[in-house]
Amino acid sequence: MRSPKLDTGFDSNPSKDFLRREYDKAIISQWRAELGKPLKYFGLPAWKMLDVIEWQQFIDRFTTIEREEDQQHLMFLKANVENVEHRLHSLYGEFDDILLNGRDTFGHRPEWPYELVNLDYFGGFIYADFSRPKALRKLIENQAIYEQSFLFIITQQLRDRDTKKEKSGFLKDLGRSLKSGILDSTVYPAVDEIISWYEDADIPDCARQTLYMNYFLRDWGEAEHFDVACRPAIIYPGTGGSWMIHFVTDFRFQSGIGHRVASNQSLLELINLGLLEAREKGFVPTRFVQPKLSIRKQT
Amino acid sequence: MASEVDEVKQNAVADSVEDSEELFYAAAVQILSEDLYPRKLEIIREYIQNASDALDDWMKISDLIPSDRTEPQIKVSIQGKSVLIFDNGIGMTEEDIPKLKRIAYSEKRVGEEAGYKGIGRLAGIAVAEKLKITSTSYGDPKLYHFEFRAADMRKDISDKKKQGVNEQASPVIKRHTSTWWTDIDPADHYTLVEIRNIKDSCDELLDSDKLIEYIGDIGPVDFSPEFTHGAVISENLQRRVPDYSPKTIYLSRPDGKKIKVFKPYNNEMKIAAPQFMDIPDPNNAGELLAYCWYTSNAEEILGKMRPTGKIFQVEGDAVEERRRFAGLVYKLFGFTVGDRSLPERTLWTTARARAPWFTGEIHVVDKNVQPTTPRSDFIENAARVRFYAEAQKRIPPILKNLAQEISDNRKAFQDAKNIRQKLDKYKTQLENAGIERSDLKIIKEELDRSFRKLNIRKNATDKEISAYQKDVRRFGETIQTALSDPKKLKPGYSVSDLVKELDMPSKARKVFQIVMDTLQAHYSKDKDEYDAIAGKIHKALKDKYV
Repeated sequence: MRSPKLDTGFDSNPSKDFLRREYDKAIISQWRAELGKPLKYFGLPAWKMLDVIEWQQFIDRFTTIEREEDQQHLMFLKANVENVEHRLHSLYGEFDDILLNGRDTFGHRPEWPYELVNLDYFGGFIYADFSRPKALRKLIENQAIYEQSFLFIITQQLRDRDTKKEKSGFLKDLGRSLKSGILDSTVYPAVDEIISWYEDADIPDCARQTLYMNYFLRDWGEAEHFDVACRPAIIYPGTGGSWMIHFVTDFRFQSGIGHRVASNQSLLELINLGLLEAREKGFVPTRFVQPKLSIRKQT
Repeated sequence: MASEVDEVKQNAVADSVEDSEELFYAAAVQILSEDLYPRKLEIIREYIQNASDALDDWMKISDLIPSDRTEPQIKVSIQGKSVLIFDNGIGMTEEDIPKLKRIAYSEKRVGEEAGYKGIGRLAGIAVAEKLKITSTSYGDPKLYHFEFRAADMRKDISDKKKQGVNEQASPVIKRHTSTWWTDIDPADHYTLVEIRNIKDSCDELLDSDKLIEYIGDIGPVDFSPEFTHGAVISENLQRRVPDYSPKTIYLSRPDGKKIKVFKPYNNEMKIAAPQFMDIPDPNNAGELLAYCWYTSNAEEILGKMRPTGKIFQVEGDAVEERRRFAGLVYKLFGFTVGDRSLPERTLWTTARARAPWFTGEIHVVDKNVQPTTPRSDFIENAARVRFYAEAQKRIPPILKNLAQEISDNRKAFQDAKNIRQKLDKYKTQLENAGIERSDLKIIKEELDRSFRKLNIRKNATDKEISAYQKDVRRFGETIQTALSDPKKLKPGYSVSDLVKELDMPSKARKVFQIVMDTLQAHYSKDKDEYDAIAGKIHKALKDKYV
């Protein structure tokens, strides 16, 4: 008999455990209390389903996407061992394809809408064909069709090979957006200053990624009538020397509004959210401190 | 002499077949797996059978591992186009896994476990793209994986056939199967079978309602705790059937509901109290060949559910659906053998129409009685002959007599009830407006007929029905007495009143008086008959002239 064929892959580490068991769990618990019922989960939990198992007291049914057949089989096994097999709805295929086509390899659909979405990606966010941002946008659109508020958790691997051109274009757009929303032109230099800080090739990509991701989530959410509240992104060491970045965002649907929603959290507040860094069993002061954008009223 | 013959035979074989030649070809694997299960749901039975045996094996040793308190169970679920069968039984060892590739190889001993032919574990290859089995046993730190790429194998065989190539079975099976292992907690023990990407033509395997119904029908499950008679039947089966050990089987529906599967009997079926019957072993005093429980439909009679003499029926639209539990069914190791027509065909030589009056189970105890591979009957052997012969001697005669008794009691009650209704009607009439004298003869005749009928059925064996009959008879006597009392009847017809009412001329009046006087004189000994005729004449004249 052959030795292990399965690369059981990414499991967890103390920092990830801390986020899952304490940070995320506390926020999910609040959502559960607020909704008054268990949350319906949609995510990419990997076959051990550490998140689903950890949060199962707050979760009702959970839809998972798995693209590896053997991993999916192990997920079935895990669900049976953990006695949650009846709550599992497992889709098979590529996440982006399923979101964009609405069906998995076997023609089965997600059970929209969901109250908790946890996309624990292995990879990065931007690929050449932009299929992932398109898929995320589709996810938000689907939630909006059902007018369903939800908690959106995204974890990505920080990769410097993410398209730099895309991010620099984004920063220019962000600068223009900020300026167009500020009547007082004396503040413009402060905006330019912070944009150029982010554009600096020497700053770590996690800082750019934080701003980039939160901005897009907010932008897409508002376009679909969600009031979006971002939290500081959290970076933590992943497996194999990589760094992971973790976003937890509230999407609250605003019923009866035809126009684009303006979130309670201002763009300024979003830019100034900053970063947190998790190490082992808690947060530590981060080495990546970005400047704050400050808009003082003229006297 | 015998050894000489054997020697000759051996030589003859050696002449025609090389020792190294395999006699089993790849296409046979496909034919075997596809043709064995005309009803695709039977494939699920094979895996539940293996899971059930694994639970039995685990329970034999589980007392030695007090730290493991997991409830032994089988769980069936559907994910996408896969059916999954999980059990937390004994699991498989490293030695067991490669043996999964062997066709019709089994180390289970006949008569000791539900499955023993070594064919069922690969049943899924006929209907799916892949068969994936994952298993570990207690104390083993390895989780073993087995994969049978069935669709690839089918295509391979078909392509080879087109090329005119007959490939031997072993290399083909080896080419399309893989085994490997991963690390696991040594305390784990379970098996998961995934029948993956099931063909569209076999989609009934992905229908959770059909699976629940099928597993309840054929599986080794217990009675629902809500079924009134379940506990009594289960208790008797535990006591009389040595291997009776119902399993906990759950089925997860696609809507997220987890259903515990039970036998199909429930209170909505309106079932009479069950009865039990031993089928003793004639060669071993005190031993059983089989044990049977049976019952029939019931309805509430005199405040109690009593058997009714009709074909056993449940709610349903089509006749076939309503009669799906009519007849007894054979059970072996808790699994159904054959359908409900099999006992009728194998045991009832006469009065077969009475067989479907009952529902129930015949649990085979004799371990020498073995099922055929498709479980449509028992293998023809001496044990089956003996079992059928003994069951024939007991089950049909007892059920026929019971059917007769049920029928007699039901008819006795029905007749008494009909008479009671008539008597109640007459009682009300007597108490209110009274009864016309002209109707008295008909009423009396009707009551006489009814009581004659009641007397024919006076031997109801059901004591309460018999008592009811007596009550009705006594009540009838009081009504008959009341009907004989002229004071309790309406006054008879008066000639003078009618004459006035019709304003008859004098001559007609006299003629009418003569006719009526003559009739009265003629029926002087049968006053009721006179009243009946007088009543008809009065009615006819009034209809014509008033």
